[in-house]
Amino acid sequence: MNGFFHAFFDLPDMLAVLPSLLTEGLPNTLLIAALAVAVGLSAGLVLASLLLSSRWWVRVWARCYVDVFRGLPAILTVSLVGLGLPAAGVRPFGRDPLGYAVLAVGMISAAYCAEILRAGIQSVPPGQSEAARSLGLSYSAAMRLVVVPQGIRNVLPALTGQFIVDVKESSLVYLLGLAVGQRELFFIASEQQAATYNSSALVAAGVCYLVITVPLTHLVNRLDRRLRRGSARSRRIPRPMPTAAAGTENALEIQV
Amino acid sequence: MNTQSAIEVRGLRKSYGGTEVLRGVDFDVAPGEVVCVIGPSGSGKSTLLRCLNLVERPDSGTVTVAGACLTAPSVDVDEARARIGMVFQHFHLFAHLSVLQNVTLAPRHVRRLGKDEAARRGRAHLARLGLDHLADRRPAELSGGQQQRVAIARALAMEPEVMLFDEATSALDPELVKGVLAVMRDLADDGMTMVVVTHEIGFAREAADRVLFMDGGVIAAQGPARDVLDRPDGPRLREFLAQVL
Repeated sequence: MNGFFHAFFDLPDMLAVLPSLLTEGLPNTLLIAALAVAVGLSAGLVLASLLLSSRWWVRVWARCYVDVFRGLPAILTVSLVGLGLPAAGVRPFGRDPLGYAVLAVGMISAAYCAEILRAGIQSVPPGQSEAARSLGLSYSAAMRLVVVPQGIRNVLPALTGQFIVDVKESSLVYLLGLAVGQRELFFIASEQQAATYNSSALVAAGVCYLVITVPLTHLVNRLDRRLRRGSARSRRIPRPMPTAAAGTENALEIQV
Repeated sequence: MNTQSAIEVRGLRKSYGGTEVLRGVDFDVAPGEVVCVIGPSGSGKSTLLRCLNLVERPDSGTVTVAGACLTAPSVDVDEARARIGMVFQHFHLFAHLSVLQNVTLAPRHVRRLGKDEAARRGRAHLARLGLDHLADRRPAELSGGQQQRVAIARALAMEPEVMLFDEATSALDPELVKGVLAVMRDLADDGMTMVVVTHEIGFAREAADRVLFMDGGVIAAQGPARDVLDRPDGPRLREFLAQVL
């Protein structure tokens, strides 16, 4: 039993790996994840607007992209992009594996984000864009200023789930081989595990991942609750008048 | 062609699926005139109003508002819509923006007003409707009556030449109807050109220069409010008025 415990929670082993996890692994993981989220969100938004096009020949390309990249194992996509592109002579990031990892994880994330954002945009009542258009705003201005901001708010929890997936998938960069300085959490921990035949480094890396993902979830949930309080929608339900300000927050909370 | 009309509608037709909702509607609205459109539900009155700023696209016929023929293929519909204010039954305030931001959004992004100038004018419009103390609230924090008055302020902030009201008080609790009707009444007194689809026969009697009675997708009767409402002509109009009065 003691041996089993030490196989996962060997304190000296953890302390030995901790400095490189914190100074090298964590920053690299955060960098890959943050850039992949940025790529995924922006490409996802473009794909979502294509998915919502009224022209079928526009929709069909976005649909193919989403179906393909949601349907492939992430490890295969990362290999195709990170190993396949350089091997084929396409080297936009030179020999830097982090660049290819960002691209690959971002491309996968874009497919999921596209579906999430499409659903969010479609959840905005059509009256919102009708009102915007009737004020003279163009289609794109109405989308940008009225529909998309509300659509994103409606799917914040789902988007957070996707960001968490991006953080975790950043570990797949290990497939591409990393030099010292480029290593992220999982790579460092797995090197240590291979050297010591003890899994404590992996547990330490796991804790680092949780330190990123768990607060992220709670942060977004809090933001979500705050935004919802401001935009609680109800039509004919009588609203508390401003004089009853003390009771307002509770009343809105219940309706949400 | 009568160039003096604020609104000119000719031969308007609109179908959904196999049902023809508008079956050839013609009418004019003079500048400063207040026209109330009444009729049973399903008579096409909301569809008619929604065709006036092309929220719905008519199948055929022409709509000319403030000199611009909206149904011409070359017209800039956005530019035309900016000059037509529309107030909806369910307000449709932008839920993610404050009251003031609701009112300044279109002036800033359509009229290209600076932020401060738009806010200054926006506050003036809110003050005129007695809403300035709500400028920083979210729509969801307001009563229905307040929301609808904000929606009116939002439309007025574009300084439209024509205002369209689509059952603006139908979704309100009875005690909130009065305040919204009072605002509409003030607008009418100020000389705004208005087309008002309403079930409020009392408002039509007091504020309308002319009443249109829609039935089965056509204008079945029209004339000065007193004639149409107090000396109704035809069994359908009499039957309708007996039900709503």
